[in-house]
Amino acid sequence: MSCHQTPEIVADHFDSRLSSQARQTVQQHLAMCAECRAEIARLTPAQDALLQWQHESVPEWDRSHAYVHAQAHAAQTHRQPLPKRHAGLSWRDAGRWIPLAASLILSVAVLTQTRLNVTEQGWQLSFGNTSGEAQLQQLDAYMTAYADRQQQQTEQMLEVALGEFGDSTADTLVQLADWFEQQRELDIQRMEAGFQQLLDRDYQTVNSVQQLASYVQYQGDLP
Amino acid sequence: MENDNELIANALNGSLQAWEALVRRYEGRVYNYSLRLTGNRDDAMDLMQDVFLGVYRNLARFRGESQFISWLFRIAHNKAVDLARRRRANPVKDQALPDDPEDWPDDQGVDTGPQALAMDAESNAGLQLLLQTLSPEQRLILELKVFQSMTFDEIAMMQDISANTAKTRFYSALKKLRALMEGHHELSPDP
Repeated sequence: MSCHQTPEIVADHFDSRLSSQARQTVQQHLAMCAECRAEIARLTPAQDALLQWQHESVPEWDRSHAYVHAQAHAAQTHRQPLPKRHAGLSWRDAGRWIPLAASLILSVAVLTQTRLNVTEQGWQLSFGNTSGEAQLQQLDAYMTAYADRQQQQTEQMLEVALGEFGDSTADTLVQLADWFEQQRELDIQRMEAGFQQLLDRDYQTVNSVQQLASYVQYQGDLP
Repeated sequence: MENDNELIANALNGSLQAWEALVRRYEGRVYNYSLRLTGNRDDAMDLMQDVFLGVYRNLARFRGESQFISWLFRIAHNKAVDLARRRRANPVKDQALPDDPEDWPDDQGVDTGPQALAMDAESNAGLQLLLQTLSPEQRLILELKVFQSMTFDEIAMMQDISANTAKTRFYSALKKLRALMEGHHELSPDP
């Protein structure tokens, strides 16, 4: 056999459901190809032998087998009902459900931002952010009162200190003010000197760059 | 007479009578299919029962988009492939023969001796014997093409291969069957 199309041509030739167009193509090929014609002639008895099969009747059998078997299988695999639960919670099982209940209550409290305010007048339970504004007002009032107390304490300390030192401290304060003034002038002079040095360095740097540029240009002009 | 879909609906609603009517309608085709593939009645009955068990278990999934017989034979095909795999795991009972008859070993679990081959290939028993010497794949493709009259495209889709591969397998199977028949006639005395 030398025709590479033989497997396809033979298969199509024996195909009872081949379209008329495809069958025409096969016929055209067979008209030209002796190898394929010979192969079909050789294989036709095999196809014929298969078609000689005599239909055999089915021996008597239990046709409900699949039905019964599947029903039994379904019954086996059917989910077993859960054990009957007690109608109410029993304290005998408290060890099992109390931790779960406590966790649940805590989770709800966190999620709803529950707050418990205990005061001298009693306790108050609040949820969410509704009390946020009132709390801010309370905080402001507390901070204001605290600042007032601090100022009063500072004033009292100053009054005590002035009482102890009296007028003798007035001359010391004048001398201290003069010393601060002198230091300030010295700082200004130092700052001006530093600034001048910085300017000088910048000037030198610019000169160096100019010299470098001239040198490069000179080198570039050389033949 | 109720059509397939009515019988299926009634069977799904628990009607044993409808299920048996559906089985009776197709058991002959499934049994003969099983007989050609397995080569003996006992195995054919087992395969047929397995096929109908698979059909019943999957009946609720049949959507009626294709013909019931096509759907049924897809299940039958899967069961036949499973059987071939099981037999391959136990090769004493079934083993594919080499293409060249000269390479056949003496003991293949199938009686291919002169007396057996002297049986008439045109009888069911003789044909079953010949088919049993093919590989399960070759037997299956001859079954699907010659007896179930499927197109090569349908076979390709069912077996997850290309149509050209299906054609090549069919050609190889037919060629091997012919070689077996020629060996048979060589062994048979001339009339």
